[in-house]
Amino acid sequence: MGILVIIEQKENSIHRMSLEAVAGAQDMADKLNMEVSVLLMGGDVSPLVEKAQRLELKEVIVAEHELLSEYSCDGFAEVVRQVIKLESPEFVVMAHTYMVRDFLPNVGVMTESPFIADVISFRVQEETPIFTKQMFNSKLASDIVVNGNQCGLISFQSAAYQANTVRKGNSSLRKIQISLTQDQIRSESEAPFQDSAGGVDLTSAEVIVSVGRGIGEESKIPIAEELASALGAELAASRPVVDSGWLPPFRQIGSSGQNVSPKLYFSVGISGAIQHVVGMKGSQNIIAINKDPEAPIFELADYAVVGDLHEIIPKLTEAIQALHN
Amino acid sequence: MAEREVLDLDVLFVGAGPASLAGAIHLKRLLRESGREVSVAVLEKASEVGAHSLSGAIVDPRALRELFPDYNDSDFPFEAEVSEEHLYYLTATKKIPFPFVPPPMSHHNCFVTSLGKLTRWLGGICEDENIDIFCGFAGTELLYEGNQVIGVRTGDRGINKNGEKKPQFEPGADICAKVVILGEGTRGSLTKRLINQRELMEGRNPQVWAVGVKELWRMPAGTVPLGYVAHTMGFPLGNDIFGGAFLYGMQNDIWDLGLVVGLDYKNPAIDSHHELQLLKNHPWIRSLLSKGEMIAYGAKSLPEGGWYSIPKLSVGGALLIGDSAGFMNGQRLKGIHLAMKSGMLAAETIVEALSAGNFTETQLSDYETRMESSWIRDELWKVRNFHQGFDHGLLGGLVNAGMGLFTGGRGWGFKNRLSSEAGHNKMEKDAEKDRYNDLQFDGTYLFDKVTDVYYSATAHDEDQVPHLHIKDRDICSTKCTEEYGNPCVKFCPADVYEMVPDGNDQRLQINFSNCVHCKTCDIMDPYQVIDWVPPEGGDGPVWVNL
Repeated sequence: MGILVIIEQKENSIHRMSLEAVAGAQDMADKLNMEVSVLLMGGDVSPLVEKAQRLELKEVIVAEHELLSEYSCDGFAEVVRQVIKLESPEFVVMAHTYMVRDFLPNVGVMTESPFIADVISFRVQEETPIFTKQMFNSKLASDIVVNGNQCGLISFQSAAYQANTVRKGNSSLRKIQISLTQDQIRSESEAPFQDSAGGVDLTSAEVIVSVGRGIGEESKIPIAEELASALGAELAASRPVVDSGWLPPFRQIGSSGQNVSPKLYFSVGISGAIQHVVGMKGSQNIIAINKDPEAPIFELADYAVVGDLHEIIPKLTEAIQALHN
Repeated sequence: MAEREVLDLDVLFVGAGPASLAGAIHLKRLLRESGREVSVAVLEKASEVGAHSLSGAIVDPRALRELFPDYNDSDFPFEAEVSEEHLYYLTATKKIPFPFVPPPMSHHNCFVTSLGKLTRWLGGICEDENIDIFCGFAGTELLYEGNQVIGVRTGDRGINKNGEKKPQFEPGADICAKVVILGEGTRGSLTKRLINQRELMEGRNPQVWAVGVKELWRMPAGTVPLGYVAHTMGFPLGNDIFGGAFLYGMQNDIWDLGLVVGLDYKNPAIDSHHELQLLKNHPWIRSLLSKGEMIAYGAKSLPEGGWYSIPKLSVGGALLIGDSAGFMNGQRLKGIHLAMKSGMLAAETIVEALSAGNFTETQLSDYETRMESSWIRDELWKVRNFHQGFDHGLLGGLVNAGMGLFTGGRGWGFKNRLSSEAGHNKMEKDAEKDRYNDLQFDGTYLFDKVTDVYYSATAHDEDQVPHLHIKDRDICSTKCTEEYGNPCVKFCPADVYEMVPDGNDQRLQINFSNCVHCKTCDIMDPYQVIDWVPPEGGDGPVWVNL
């Protein structure tokens, strides 16, 4: 059947990264001369159906079951196993989200399919589909191919493709029957990560304000917080800020923190050591403020501001707030 | 709560370097020949064998040939046999060849080698021999019964930075063994404590260390002569600092460039990483490397003291081997063959001890006897005063070494034993400040320290107690700042130590996650307040080919 993209639901809408995965699947389909379908799965996917049908697809497949209302690794893995058996896709594509990290490896084991996780790009060379993923702290890019005739499970890294490049169309809808019983679900999920105490999913943030040591002291963190809230951004930090205890570890970007690729990365008082840069270089737009004109972050920045952040940020925040009003 | 596991073994090696791995293989084979099955295991703090192995290296194959008599040299995982060798004296812009390479510095019949490759290869053979290697577990404490060492406790996992247990907390295990062989490498943390507690350096010269920093450079195909060897003296260290550079041609067109800096220099501003960058500014090095790409960085200290700095090697239940014991020939710049041989001699000692069922100090001191009648002694005795000569600068060192050649290693041609002083005591209080003023890190050819550290692939879980214990933090921002200008910031080749502003003062910030486990800080701190202990097992650099 070609390529099947499994859409993830987020707050009654299609997860942004799932749209990126559809864009990735469309790119694969073009290069491999295949067709793309999507799978909507859940207790009630009706809020997503119309949006999915407006994408350029072979069809939208719907698999609903009341036991899918709550996410469970066992339940989702079992349903995807059944869909793979029914539809025999050549590739199953998803976004590399926390949920995918949780259940897709199980699908790999159940269906004896290889799982190539966190893929950053795709190409076809001598008719062989090649997936590229980063290894060793993003130092190496390794090319991986699927051996044999099994279905390949692929997850794309956030921002490997752009959601706004998804081709629009008018797709048909098909419901399929799946079976699932309560005793197949052996685990119980807690509330989603974003809602849990202190958890922030920086990887899916569209705008990030990131603070570095240039902020000077803990008492100055609020000026960055205010900028973040004016921009509707998540607050993040480089290692020294977290190490000093000014912001919690889950807000750290870089090789010992998270890798992010938002639409806008607003770097405030960060020099741009390579350990930080590997965590944010995929950002679509980078604005950097630093008082040192030689700071390496400026080599990466789309917009560079040399100056004192303590002077600039409050005025900028004010100006943005004024725009909102 | 999880209970501490206890594991009973016969023989435990600590640290999967060449000494332990050779020792374990030799032991297992000797025991098999005599029809005995004995449990032998190796503890390794790195995530895999070889990930913390770093050396030049040029290997003398002598020990390997003894350990594998049926193998040819081509069966060993060497890069290449030394094909050409050069010795240069460098000025800031020129290189002056020595008219000939003095015989003891000749590397004829030796092999350019990646120690990481060699230890991984030896690790594979251990697997075939049914030797368990526990990777990702660091020994943090020796277990005693009275004065007898009876095992090693491994580090706890899952302790947060405040010392509290995280949900995934797992207590370390007690691994009990009849004999514990400390092959922790240079300045081992268990070894250091054992040496101090049992006064194993009594009557010896203090150990003197150096630190080696290196970068690997991948060059365009066909441009690196395989087996090429060059050593240099002079620039950038000058004639007062012990050390020199090495440049080796490895497989796949990789240049292996490194610099060894004696950890007995006077100027507290010396920074081995920056010295390596200065070296790269030399026109000769620039002409060789500038078309390439730097692919890896690392640093490691090495014991340079020689024969008179070797501690007492045995106590009840434990033996010291390899760099932990100081088996390094400073004149030949080689220790791997000595390390392996020492591991093998320890194995022979243990076979006897197992037969006798006796693991006391008296029984195990047989190891020292074996060592003294082996070629380790022959080789080290001849150069027993080598390093001490360099207390008088490069010229003094060369004259002393030269006279030693004709007198079987006597100091200055007549003294049987020259004394030495611990390197950190030599640091003087006036820093030569402008040494690196002209150094411009461009990010493509010359790298600042954090960028180089990135290329060591080092990683530590940030949420743990820093593994660099400072016994007296007050010294750092007061006395040390005044007297030495905080040399830890300079001598650490991985930017672990940083003085950051704190109001009107400054305070020491320890970026322990940068640590490449070289141990320089533990050695060189002028007040000796830094204690390096292993971080959570599996953390640290991930070296592939160093």
